[in-house]
Amino acid sequence: MSDTTTKIIKAGLKKRYAKEKRFRFFGLMSIVISFVFLLVLLISIFSKGWSAFQQTYVKLDVELNEEVLGINKFSNKDALFSARYKKIIKNSLKKKFPGVKGRKQKRALKNLVSKSAQYELRDKVLKDPELLGTTQSFWFLAKDDVDVFMKGNIDRTLPESNRRIKDYQLAWIDQLIAEDRLEKRFNTQLFSASDSREPEQAGLKGALMGSLFTMLVTLSLSFPIAVAAAAYLEEFAPQNNRWVDLIEVNINNLAAVPSIVFGLLGLAIYIGLFGVPRSTPLIGGLVLTLMTLPTIIIASRAAIKSVPPSIKQAAVGLGASRVQVLFHHTLPLAMPGILTGTIVGMAQALGETAPLLMIGMVAFVAEVPGSIMDPATVMPVQIYLWSDSPERAFSERTSAAIMVLLAFLVMMNLIAIVLRKKFEQRW
Amino acid sequence: MQLGKHISQRFTQNLEDIRNKVLVMGGLVESQADNAVKSLLEANAELAEEVSISDYKVNKMEVAIDEQCVQVIARNQPAASDLRLVIAVVKVITDLERIGDEAEKIGRESIKLAKYPTVNQLHAELSHLSQLVLGMLHDALDAFARMDTELALKIVANGDLVNKEYNNLSRLLITHMMEDPRNIKSVLRVTWCARSLERIGDHSRNICEYVVYFVKGKDIRHTSLDEVLADHFPGEMERKI
Amino acid sequence: MTDLIGTLPGMVKSSLESEENKLPVVETRDEFDVEISGTIGKPLVQNAKMSSRNCDVFYGDKQAIFNINLDIGKNEIIAMIGPSGCGKSTYLRVLNRMNDTIPICRVTGEHTLDGEDIYAAEQDPVLLRARVGMVFQKPNPFPKSIYDNVAYGAKLHGLATNRSELDDLVEASLIKAGLFKEVKDDLLMPGTGLSGGQQQRLCIARAIAVDPEVILMDEPTSALDPIATATIEELMDELKENYTIAIVTHSMQQAARVSQRTAYFHLGKLVEVNDTNTVFTNPEHKLTENYITGRFG
Repeated sequence: MSDTTTKIIKAGLKKRYAKEKRFRFFGLMSIVISFVFLLVLLISIFSKGWSAFQQTYVKLDVELNEEVLGINKFSNKDALFSARYKKIIKNSLKKKFPGVKGRKQKRALKNLVSKSAQYELRDKVLKDPELLGTTQSFWFLAKDDVDVFMKGNIDRTLPESNRRIKDYQLAWIDQLIAEDRLEKRFNTQLFSASDSREPEQAGLKGALMGSLFTMLVTLSLSFPIAVAAAAYLEEFAPQNNRWVDLIEVNINNLAAVPSIVFGLLGLAIYIGLFGVPRSTPLIGGLVLTLMTLPTIIIASRAAIKSVPPSIKQAAVGLGASRVQVLFHHTLPLAMPGILTGTIVGMAQALGETAPLLMIGMVAFVAEVPGSIMDPATVMPVQIYLWSDSPERAFSERTSAAIMVLLAFLVMMNLIAIVLRKKFEQRW
Repeated sequence: MQLGKHISQRFTQNLEDIRNKVLVMGGLVESQADNAVKSLLEANAELAEEVSISDYKVNKMEVAIDEQCVQVIARNQPAASDLRLVIAVVKVITDLERIGDEAEKIGRESIKLAKYPTVNQLHAELSHLSQLVLGMLHDALDAFARMDTELALKIVANGDLVNKEYNNLSRLLITHMMEDPRNIKSVLRVTWCARSLERIGDHSRNICEYVVYFVKGKDIRHTSLDEVLADHFPGEMERKI
Repeated sequence: MTDLIGTLPGMVKSSLESEENKLPVVETRDEFDVEISGTIGKPLVQNAKMSSRNCDVFYGDKQAIFNINLDIGKNEIIAMIGPSGCGKSTYLRVLNRMNDTIPICRVTGEHTLDGEDIYAAEQDPVLLRARVGMVFQKPNPFPKSIYDNVAYGAKLHGLATNRSELDDLVEASLIKAGLFKEVKDDLLMPGTGLSGGQQQRLCIARAIAVDPEVILMDEPTSALDPIATATIEELMDELKENYTIAIVTHSMQQAARVSQRTAYFHLGKLVEVNDTNTVFTNPEHKLTENYITGRFG
């Protein structure tokens, strides 16, 4: 290399390195920025939602007075079922805090425990009628206001008129705390109960099951359809055919269509034309299938395209038919890519709300769905519903639901990675 | 009338270099033979001396060309005509070296014969044979230089002339020896020279056969001339007849 | 050397100094005519295993192969050589209808295997490919175990009825391909974990497991080192006893080493077919000569 060449290159070197440094800096900055945003999101959700995993319980001494209930241990089941447990709870509270005057205060006293207390009591008696006539200590769900206060979300220094909990209620709560009769425990209700108007009783199980059923429908429809479509387009469709090109363009466009359009489509076609029952995981799955199909098809086509032709040729050279090549070699080798695309599509579907609003999945459903034909709601819709509720206690539950949804997504991605690792083969 | 060059220029250069060296070696051998004959016919001991000590040049060239041929085979793996060229060259230089040896022998005999007048009596006959052989060698080298198969075949066909001439000379020499036994010693030396000349003729013929091998790709050694002509030179056959 | 020139006789001197100091010219047929007017040499043989007559191949509007007439003799190795894009690989693929997989590719002419038309409507390409196996340029074992690789073709065509038969077939094929000794303890290891040469032998084992009559090899050693190449060449020599082999190669030395006959393709035409000995010492056509001696631009 001549001297002048070396000089020219040397002169340019500094600039080149500076450019490289700059680029690396920008890249790093982008990552930092996106990381900060993610952190802010996570912190705000976690800080708000964390407390929802705990729930306040009240310990009450209940006297299972047979006279008040109007039953004894020899009563039949129906009688046991419809006895006046509400009165027992009321009496127990009255006994605890004697001298409560006025309707307002009486109602407030009653609202220390959740309305579900009487049902809990009933269940206990049903389970063991021997309890009748004795006095027992039981833990009952506290009312949401008590719960909110216990979690420190109500400022007792505020003037009484601006507070949801009045001074006399505070006095009761303080007394209960002093007697160790108030306690925060892990909130099993959140996972075992379905939606409810009462925040302390509301749970995610209905939405989780709804999401699960919807995803099952979506997966079992979109995966085979998408893979078959992708395989046909890649391996069998005539090349350089105008129709094939048209289909290809349309599939790519479909992936960009706003999801609410699919909801409208589902409403018009599935519900309007075919009469599929609304609000069910079935219709939700059908609509979400429409939405995820393009994503999976595009990912699957890319995966199929990346299978080395030498492998296919080898199989053809041995006398395999085209379908045999597809099922013996192309699809197994493309499986990691197809699965990744599927899981991305499913994750997308799992988080989708808009199209489901159109097909009635936004309804309040207090029952846990048992099949794909039962009315149900799904996780994102549940979040939407709760975020819309006025009760203070729903706000933390909204965040908790988001956390559960995120955990679901992380799990799905983990499954995707594991499946990838399992199917991945060197060639 | 040229073949395209090889993609590898060095290969082309090597082959050209080899061929040029063979031509130079051929020239050297021819001048050795010329000088040997001249020293014999003119009883020039000085020239004869020079011929006999110059043979090392020929030997050295043979070794050098051999070496280069081996290198070309090892490095370039010549095929087809290139392969035939290298093989022909390897064989041609062997024959050239033998011709050089024969010239040296003639030179050595000439040194001793220069003292005797015997040669003068045989001058005419020796001169005839030597001109014939030298012409043959010259033509053979010419055929190699131009890769002229027609000329080469003509030389192969004329090989018998040398044999005939040699036989005649042999008879004559025997007569000389019988006439005067005192001459036997010197006439014997002349016989050896004649023998050497005849060998040179044979080697020249071989060179021509290699020319045909290179150009036609056919080995015509140990084949009757008529067969060769019929197989590869249909036109030549008619002309000969 | 220069000091010698002065002392040389006139003829040599003038020869050295003249313009004609170039490499000598060799007589070939078509000396001044590089147009290809039909194959020369011996394209047709007596006991042909496969043969093509008037073979043309088109890719869309482009003609890739022009009027090839060629016989492939029984139990011979025929080498096909020629510059890139000369159609030798394309022609090879005509012989087991691999070109069928390319939609725009059209093959005309008459092609027979044991006298049977392989392009006839009733001829099943799947059966044909079982009879005419193929080994590719890049070793392409399936990403499965060694055993499954070899067993694949047999399973495909139902050649083995039970597991022990399949075991025997796999073993026999690996032995024939000269790979059994090396892999007998790890038949369940992935085939892709073998070295390049072993992979290619695995591909050969896979091809012969179907018991083909003809094996087509498309530059089988171009991705291998010389030792692996030598092993494969040795293997081909053994396989010749039972199979007919057609090999496309870019290495002329390889063609010279392994084949009995050599076919030279040029721009989609079959220029010359001759005994390998003849082609490499005294080719008839000037184009062959040029290619073999490395005179091509």
